[in-house]
Amino acid sequence: MLVIDCPYCGPRNSTEFRHAGEAGKSRDVANSTPAEWRRYLYEFNNPLGWVREHWFHSSGCRRYISSERHTGNNEVRWVVPFGTPAPSTTSDKETGA
Amino acid sequence: MSASGNWRIAPQPGEVIDRSQKVNFTWNGSPASGYAGDTIVSALMASGVRVMSRSFKYHRPRGVITATFFDPNCSFQVGQEPNVRGAHRMVRNGDDVNAQNAWPSLNFDIRAANQVVGRFLGPGFYYKTFIKPQKLWPAYQKVLSTFAPGGAPPAIGTPQEIFDKRFVHPDVLVAGGGPAGMAAAIEAARTGAKVILVEEEYELGGHLRYGGTESLATLAALRAEVASFDNIEVLTDSVVSGRYDDNWVGVVQRSGIWAKERMIKARVGTLVVAAGLIERPYVFEGNDLPGVMLATAALRLIGLHAVKPGTSAVVFTANSTGDEAIERLRAAGVSIARVLDARKGENVTRALGRGQVSGVEAGDGSKTSADLLITATGWTAPTSLLNMAGDRPVWNAAGARFTPSELFHSSVMAAGGIVGDGTTAELIAHGRAVGIEAASRARGEAAKPVAALIPDAHPALFQSTTVGFLDLSEDVKNKDIVSAAKEGYDSSELAKRFTTSAMGPSQGKLEMVNTMAVLAEATGRDFQSTGTTVWRPPYAPISLGALAGRVFEPDRVSPMQLWHEAHGAKDMVAAQWIRPEHYGNPQAEALNVRSNVGIIDLTPLGKLDLHGPDIVKLLNLAYTNTWDNLAVGSVRYGVMCAEDGVVMDDGVTGRLGDDHYLMTTTSSGAGNVWDWLEMWLQTVHREWQVTITPVTTALVSINVAGPNSRELLSRITDIDLDPAVFGYMKVRQGTVAGVADCIVWRIGFTGELSYEIHVPASYGLHVWETLLEVGKDLGVAPFGIEAQRILRLEKGHFIVGQDTDGLTQAYEAGLGGLVKLAKEDFSGKPELVWQEALAGNYSHLVAVETVDPLLVPAEASQIVENGNEIVGRITSSRMSPTLKRSVCLAHVPASLSTPGSRLTIVLENGDRAAAIVREDLAFVDPEGVRLRG
Amino acid sequence: MALGNASTSRTPTASVGGARKGSRPARYSAFDIFRRGVTHADWPRSFNEHELKKSYDVVIIGAGVHGLACAYYLAKNHGITNVAVIEKAYMGGGGSGRNTAIIRSNYLTPEGVRFYDRSVKLYEDLAVDLNYNVMFSQRGHLTLAHNDASLRTMHWRAEVNKLQGINSSVIDAKEVGKIVPYLDVTDHARYPILGALYHPPGGIIRHDAVNWGYARAAGHLGVEIHQQTEVLGIETAGGKVTGVRTSRGNISAPIVVNCTAGWASTICDMVDVKMPLVTHPLQAAVTEPVKVFLPAVIVSGSLHVYVSQTDRGELVFGASVDPYPSYSLRGSLEFTEGLATHILELIPSIGSLKLLRQWAGLCDMTPDYSPIMGITPVEGFLVDVGWGTYGFKAGPVSGEQMAQLVATGRTPELIAAFDLARFADGRLVGEKGAASVGH
Repeated sequence: MLVIDCPYCGPRNSTEFRHAGEAGKSRDVANSTPAEWRRYLYEFNNPLGWVREHWFHSSGCRRYISSERHTGNNEVRWVVPFGTPAPSTTSDKETGA
Repeated sequence: MSASGNWRIAPQPGEVIDRSQKVNFTWNGSPASGYAGDTIVSALMASGVRVMSRSFKYHRPRGVITATFFDPNCSFQVGQEPNVRGAHRMVRNGDDVNAQNAWPSLNFDIRAANQVVGRFLGPGFYYKTFIKPQKLWPAYQKVLSTFAPGGAPPAIGTPQEIFDKRFVHPDVLVAGGGPAGMAAAIEAARTGAKVILVEEEYELGGHLRYGGTESLATLAALRAEVASFDNIEVLTDSVVSGRYDDNWVGVVQRSGIWAKERMIKARVGTLVVAAGLIERPYVFEGNDLPGVMLATAALRLIGLHAVKPGTSAVVFTANSTGDEAIERLRAAGVSIARVLDARKGENVTRALGRGQVSGVEAGDGSKTSADLLITATGWTAPTSLLNMAGDRPVWNAAGARFTPSELFHSSVMAAGGIVGDGTTAELIAHGRAVGIEAASRARGEAAKPVAALIPDAHPALFQSTTVGFLDLSEDVKNKDIVSAAKEGYDSSELAKRFTTSAMGPSQGKLEMVNTMAVLAEATGRDFQSTGTTVWRPPYAPISLGALAGRVFEPDRVSPMQLWHEAHGAKDMVAAQWIRPEHYGNPQAEALNVRSNVGIIDLTPLGKLDLHGPDIVKLLNLAYTNTWDNLAVGSVRYGVMCAEDGVVMDDGVTGRLGDDHYLMTTTSSGAGNVWDWLEMWLQTVHREWQVTITPVTTALVSINVAGPNSRELLSRITDIDLDPAVFGYMKVRQGTVAGVADCIVWRIGFTGELSYEIHVPASYGLHVWETLLEVGKDLGVAPFGIEAQRILRLEKGHFIVGQDTDGLTQAYEAGLGGLVKLAKEDFSGKPELVWQEALAGNYSHLVAVETVDPLLVPAEASQIVENGNEIVGRITSSRMSPTLKRSVCLAHVPASLSTPGSRLTIVLENGDRAAAIVREDLAFVDPEGVRLRG
Repeated sequence: MALGNASTSRTPTASVGGARKGSRPARYSAFDIFRRGVTHADWPRSFNEHELKKSYDVVIIGAGVHGLACAYYLAKNHGITNVAVIEKAYMGGGGSGRNTAIIRSNYLTPEGVRFYDRSVKLYEDLAVDLNYNVMFSQRGHLTLAHNDASLRTMHWRAEVNKLQGINSSVIDAKEVGKIVPYLDVTDHARYPILGALYHPPGGIIRHDAVNWGYARAAGHLGVEIHQQTEVLGIETAGGKVTGVRTSRGNISAPIVVNCTAGWASTICDMVDVKMPLVTHPLQAAVTEPVKVFLPAVIVSGSLHVYVSQTDRGELVFGASVDPYPSYSLRGSLEFTEGLATHILELIPSIGSLKLLRQWAGLCDMTPDYSPIMGITPVEGFLVDVGWGTYGFKAGPVSGEQMAQLVATGRTPELIAAFDLARFADGRLVGEKGAASVGH
């Protein structure tokens, strides 16, 4: 079973977490056309490879956190609190959605 | 072949039987015996039993091959338990042991006739036959299914045995308690690491246990060293079943505990795989006859159980283990009729005999009489756990076996024979080195390589020149693989699937390499490109009971549940909650609410306590309606939609103070809503200050409903209930039945004047009983969920998930009035903007009256047009005790949504019934007079 | 030869000598089995190997049941035989060989029911059509209801099914117990069985046989199946498909059909078609064989488990997809633990049965539990993807309908509701209620 190193609680079994989707979605209520909004609702990159995503530590601290995981072997490269920058070794982008 | 003779020999130095304790059991109904420490198979062998079962497809008599857990034809029915591994399971007093797969008896099996027609039963036989006539296939199939192998399932009503689970966090877990595994555990422990050493058999030692006196001396020293470490936990009769992501390791402990089996789940620092080697059978004609066995099987029977496996043996040997077997057989009193040495180019072509070996034909055509044929033709490394960690083993041509490639994760290491060969001392030295490194890796230090053992040169022996069995549990022959390849099933996966080789209970441990070898030869490819097949978990079969463990399924109940049950409540299961559906007569309960007063336990209602200055912003975002102007002391109903505009949840939220609100949700949606609100707060509006505390079970919720509810409540509260000051949709806090800090609000799901009281949970029962006590003269009675469903339907109130489905957006649910599109933002807004623009051109939730007032169409009855064209459905229906007629809610298309529209409903029996769409959703009190009274 | 033998004499398994091109498969019959049994005559090859040609009329990606069926019906129904099926591993090795082979048509929406009913009809005649026994066992399919909400959904499905002419009805717990005596239908179970949706034509099939039967029959009609051939890219020009780059060379083709599962997003990425897909592993497991005691397919949505027993006596289990997206096929311990817990709630007496093997396949989940079939913004690039956990049931009908689309250029009525454009248009299919554990 996957271990997720919660930045608030430390390493925990993945069964304590709920997967909260790919990072990087942008929600634009004011200006989206129907097609754009439904792309926001339904489309995913769904890559085979490294993916930035969010988790909710539902059976722990109940915080949203962000991670980078390889979907081929489930290796988790890093985990940070939601909204904090990704470790600089891998990216310079914000992890927040 | 019934039990005959005594095959027990003089005490052996390493024997594990206790000759002072006789064990009595039955074998196919006849009395049999053995000693404590005997396996079922060793006890039977000691009594002269040679045929242990009949084979799956051809029903050929089969005996002992490996004398280990995975001996393919030594599975028995023991009492109610099927497929017991008889060469592993210790025999116990009173065991009722029966052969499997034999009908009517082991010695006379009618289906052995399959042997005669065997030439037609080639691979893929079923795919090629019974095609026509199609109508007869079910009949054929019924017959075929009676041929299913294995034991009988436990009878219905067989009591569930107790299984358990345990969690451990060792630094090092060693899979395999042979010399290398023991050495690894010792050295890891010496560094201070917490070590678990897992051994599949009943004692540590591996092959040393059935080796010579020197082996036994080494073993004694290793055991003493293991025992000297408090930080080594030894688990025998236990097996590592799998290695999963992040070194999550499953261990099944089969004995030595109070439960029948225990599943141990270990989060392991470093997993050391020291699984040793599995001896590989050889494929030749008659290789499945009882009397043909592996050298290690003979060594085990003699060394561990002091059983002589035969009287006269031919030994086909290619290695030192075969050579050792010759000596040990001789010492046990077995005469060696002939030795065939593969290293000198000698070969075995046939085992002769019917039902039992009577002779052996060598490669040169010569025949030797014997009742035993021992083969020692090579080894298979059981790399299963390494594969699960990412390894892809490579073919070592010189050693004629696959070896680990070291591609596996650095948190896993391999030690001992699985890696390569060596003297006992070398295996131990390798184990020690791996143990030190394993502990170091577990401490987080960088991985360093450990010098590998190299497999000794070994002749490549897989099959002789004759046709024999490749897979003894599936009855697949070498020629079947060739046929499969010729037919085009020529990749390893296709050949395996087509012939079912390696798909049976032994899962490839014995037959995988031979299957690959035969296929490689048949297709002219080399071994490596023919490929290895992925060993899938578990490494050894695990009982469903061990996987399940004890069931800890939480029951959620209100503090009044015992009261309910004592007062005739019929319970219903609503996800985790168990709650009263009714107390005997839901129609009467509902009527009592309309005419007097009823109380219902609504504790499962989701309740979230909200604090903070930005609650209004959150409510405006979560609900479709507006929350800007809710005064302290007021409550409001709201609907939540997901981002796709689909109705998600609903409930009442009340303002208790300036920055303090209590939100209620549906019972089943409570968890989701909480998570979802946190999502908005933590990921979208992180600047908002709101704290959410779930108080569902901290508060007991009681709804007091009916015309007498005010009078009833007034008798036990200090809250002023005067409607002029405590009107509809208001909330007050005060004392109820002497309990301070109760929250009371006026709402009306039932359509009646009603007060919902939220009481600190530990006082719930007190308040409940007080209400019943003081309201006797008012006709107070409890009502259950069913009565509430009737009441709300009479009032035309919808239920999320029943009157809506996974695609129902707010306007379709008739909730347009609660959607405030003028708000800047709320969940689902864009979709609802577009739905609103459709100007009613979507399906509608409407109230429906059947023309026949006494007809109650079942919920989910379909509404049709033009014959069978489905246009809508009844979502809720009940007989109304108030109106004495049926009341329904339905989804209908826009064209049928105007009041007075005539609907055609299809009843369960196929009849059609007419119904009319009503003006108003509410059947009872559409003006809301009762509610607001 | 890389293999040694102790003896130098000829082994019984000497080389089969590679593929003989163009050989035709034998007609399987009882007589032929008898004749070959007596004469020891070999069966001819069922599948032939081919050189990859420079161009094809149609390239199908993925030799699972969908791709193979599409190829077969292209050839059989439309005479289009210049077709290559490109498979990166071996045929039937993905979801088609990893599913639990349950067939049914008792869906929730009329469009779903019509579509899967066509599939059941094709499956019923498939053995004769392909001259290959696919062992379709219509033993009955029970979807258990453990609470009033799921019982209501069962009623809903039953009513929709009946109006579409499907044999499907709701039965009570007592009747469930009569059909499957091993089930615990008492009311003291933690999640008591209140009733079930009973679908007598539902059942199980031999999945490999379906895959191989299609492959053999398609090959017979001239279609080429290229195993161990990986698609590396898809060529387009002016918004139209022009060809496919593979690990064995480039092919030009005006039509490419994506029939992959688990890899649908990666293939669609090659032509920049974004898909509403999330890939999740779906795990399954099998027990050791025991004598047959389970006469019907059992599904429990509330307990997230489904089980059937093969004629070989093994119990085959599945559950819902893994909780987070992944392409990993390793499987998990918690899956088997949950499975066992739930199966013992349903059938309490079988705790001593042993789980033998677990495995995983990949499922491309769509937002509305319905597939994505038909045209895409790239002309000539067609999709038959998004099959979630229910792709195998739909293999024949999908192949038939996609073949019709390829041949006629028009989207057949039966799959019109499953178009890609429905997501942008907000026309989702309402199968969610029926497919949360879609077996």
